[in-house]
Amino acid sequence: MAWLQRPVRAVLLDISGVLKNCVDGKDVAIDGSVDAVNRLKASGVPVRFCTNETTTTRSKLVRRLQALGFNMKEEEVFPPAPTVCLILKERALRPHLLVHQDAMEDFAHIDQSSPNCVVLGDAQHDLTYENMNKAFQTLLALEKPVLFSMGQGKFYKEDNALVLDVGAYKAALEYACDLKAEVVGKPSESFFLSVVKDMGASPEDTVMVGDDIENDVGGAQKCGMRGVLVRTGKYRPSDENHPKVKPDGIVDNLAQAVDILLKQ
Amino acid sequence: MTSREGVRTALVDLSGTLHIDDMEVPGSVEALKRLRKSGMNIKFVTNTTKESKRVLHDHLLSLGFDIKRDEIFTSLTAARHLLEQRNLQPLVLDGAPLIAIHKARYYKRKDGMALGPGPFVAALEFSTDKMAEVVGKPESRFFLSAVEEFGCHPSQCVMIGDDARDDIGGAQNSGMKGILVKTGKYRGGDEKKIDPPPQHVADDFSAAVDFILSFLL
Repeated sequence: MAWLQRPVRAVLLDISGVLKNCVDGKDVAIDGSVDAVNRLKASGVPVRFCTNETTTTRSKLVRRLQALGFNMKEEEVFPPAPTVCLILKERALRPHLLVHQDAMEDFAHIDQSSPNCVVLGDAQHDLTYENMNKAFQTLLALEKPVLFSMGQGKFYKEDNALVLDVGAYKAALEYACDLKAEVVGKPSESFFLSVVKDMGASPEDTVMVGDDIENDVGGAQKCGMRGVLVRTGKYRPSDENHPKVKPDGIVDNLAQAVDILLKQ
Repeated sequence: MTSREGVRTALVDLSGTLHIDDMEVPGSVEALKRLRKSGMNIKFVTNTTKESKRVLHDHLLSLGFDIKRDEIFTSLTAARHLLEQRNLQPLVLDGAPLIAIHKARYYKRKDGMALGPGPFVAALEFSTDKMAEVVGKPESRFFLSAVEEFGCHPSQCVMIGDDARDDIGGAQNSGMKGILVKTGKYRGGDEKKIDPPPQHVADDFSAAVDFILSFLL
């Protein structure tokens, strides 16, 4: 296996589609994933969870995963919102938020008066015409419009259907306002590297496991990591012949990835 | 500025040029009368996707415009022609073509700017990895079909509209002349969004008509 030709000293795991799926509005652990995380951690390899989840706060996400049996701490989980908050503070930006109601709490400490930028997340049912319009009008009124997009996925799988992800709405606002959004979250290089740094590892020693061929696998590879694709979550067979991204490894699921890894 | 060939056909945008929602752009009803007196062919070209031609026509009559229904050429008509020609069913499925009535970024509403369909077309293009086929403005095919019945050369046509890219850029790319009006969605600097720039920029439709009557006939 190509991805095991060099030692693996750190592992990044995507959450949705790798650890769990969403079925009938409920989270369900993917077979073998709870055990796989336990075995990985027991082996002593540092593990972090790197997600573009923006439909809830980090603490609620972690509690939901713990309830499914996953062994993880909040500080091991890296969604885009905390990073966005750091950037907003650094650059003295006040956001107009187009984010999920359940994720608002992560921004509660940020000054949102007279906004001078827009932060876009997967607000799901709140991505209505009127809400998109408000974000658009905010950007249009700014001399130097700044748009942050928490992730840029094309679509994901929910209740056995593919649904539009935040990337579609990012593309809409970019087109309407003639601008390029700043992406926070996967596949942003600075985002990946900050998580790798947190493990005290180097990208060359790190493997990223995900179900998104472009943002997980392709994004990790661009930063010098190895990218492994799982055949769970939003995986589609055509991903194995992607025109631009060739995974370093393809496995049936996380359990199989960990089996192979620990045999080395 | 003078033209080698006199202009014989005027294409006029509706929303943002003649009216904004239920308000006439001041002076437009009178200006249209002046344009008609010159004996020029007139066609109203719109990317509207929200109302049928009949509703649109009734709306324009109620604002006082002297316009006949068959003078209106909409992108919906153009879309229907395309679907008929290619025997397509309007569905977006795996492997099915994505057809956009038009890709305007935004338009002017009474309460401010509002997103047009363009951004949502861009959203679908991004998520399906597929480029939409556009049938309305700024497509050349749309402008040329609108003037087909008059049998005049594109250089003898002038387009008046408030959208630099879709009205003026589109018309000029089809070989027509273009006059950008500073009403509706116009924002300072819009004339710099296209290359070559609009042949003329007028304060409003009335000033555009004066320009045509003085310099383009």
